Amino acid sequence: MDNLIILAVLISCGYFFGRHAEKKHYRSIVERENALISLPITSSRHVMILREIDSSRLVLGGVVISVDYFKRILAGLRNIFGGNVRSYETLLDRARREAVLRLRESCLDADEIINLRIETSSISKGGDSKIGCVEVLAYATAIYYKK
Amino acid sequence: MKYLPSLPEKNDNVSHNHPLSEFALLSAGLILFFGIVYLILGLLVDLAAEKISYETEAALFQALSSRVDYFDPQNDDLAEEKQRVQQIVDDLQTCTDLPYAIQVHIVKSDETNAIALPGGHIAVFTGLLQAVPQDNGLAFVLAHELGHFQNRDHLRSLGRSLVFYSLSAMLTGGNSSISGLLAPTFGLTAAQYSQARESMADRIALDTCNCRFGNINGAVDFFRYIIEMKLDSNLQIFHYFSSHPETQKRIDELKAYADSKGYQYSSF
Repeated sequence: MDNLIILAVLISCGYFFGRHAEKKHYRSIVERENALISLPITSSRHVMILREIDSSRLVLGGVVISVDYFKRILAGLRNIFGGNVRSYETLLDRARREAVLRLRESCLDADEIINLRIETSSISKGGDSKIGCVEVLAYATAIYYKK
Repeated sequence: MKYLPSLPEKNDNVSHNHPLSEFALLSAGLILFFGIVYLILGLLVDLAAEKISYETEAALFQALSSRVDYFDPQNDDLAEEKQRVQQIVDDLQTCTDLPYAIQVHIVKSDETNAIALPGGHIAVFTGLLQAVPQDNGLAFVLAHELGHFQNRDHLRSLGRSLVFYSLSAMLTGGNSSISGLLAPTFGLTAAQYSQARESMADRIALDTCNCRFGNINGAVDFFRYIIEMKLDSNLQIFHYFSSHPETQKRIDELKAYADSKGYQYSSF
């Protein structure tokens, strides 16, 4: 009985706080994406506009997001039945977009960003404590034209 | 190449259905599936408990009896108590058809309880001896435990808890959060099941007491102690989960049963 109460508290904490954090994060993501829309960014290895290049540099954007208790339980249930782990989809989507946003924010004065790559890794993978965290790292090359 | 700045109108990388509905669907499916498996295995355990012979049971739980003896204190006043309780059990046994001798063990603990263990052992906690000091009150409790032996409830409960722990271990492979989600379901069905078994053991206890003493005043005494000492101090909402039927309900049932059999008793 005690375990049940603790579990219910943990799940509802996870649900309400996790959902609140997620909504807030999505609002911030959309807002910043709109603000940065004019800075060109591609996964192409070549510059898009043929201009004389002054300099280029490596830019990075990384983020670590933890899964909440509700999502973890839901993913655990999915583990039994199989199928899309929907509860983790938003987690990874947020992490990817946040990483790219941080990358862009690190070079606001660049003229374009090329060769964008995204890496994902799970923190404490296989560890006994099973802290479900995901790290997403975005890296790219920032290009500066000759003025 | 021309660069067209744009953002997707709709996020196709995530599912848009509500996470709670997914949670409800998955956990309901899981609970249903394992509830059914638990029920089926529980029925098989019942079948096995009926079929297992006393000799096999004794042989199986040979190891347990050495463990039970381990709890037995060498204390002299407990040895006296043990002899007294053993005598009550021996006397009661003349009124049962149990083909083997029951051994009493006194365990030092504040719990007001006695348990029937496989292999013909009854563990009586010192808390019970303090709460119910008189022989005839104690006789009802002991007759109740003998009732469990007659119904083979000690094997059933052991088998069912074995099923429960195997299922939850199999299900999660050590991930305790999911088994925590399921545990109440098993606990609930187990409690409901064992309430029915407790009532049966109560009725057998009345039969035994009536055969031994010609009346069932022991039961009356026992419940008087319980009510006076408010031993049943569990909160109302937990009664659904507790294995022993609620005291008043238990008394009412016993009264009705005693009346139907015409047993003699002073007023409850």
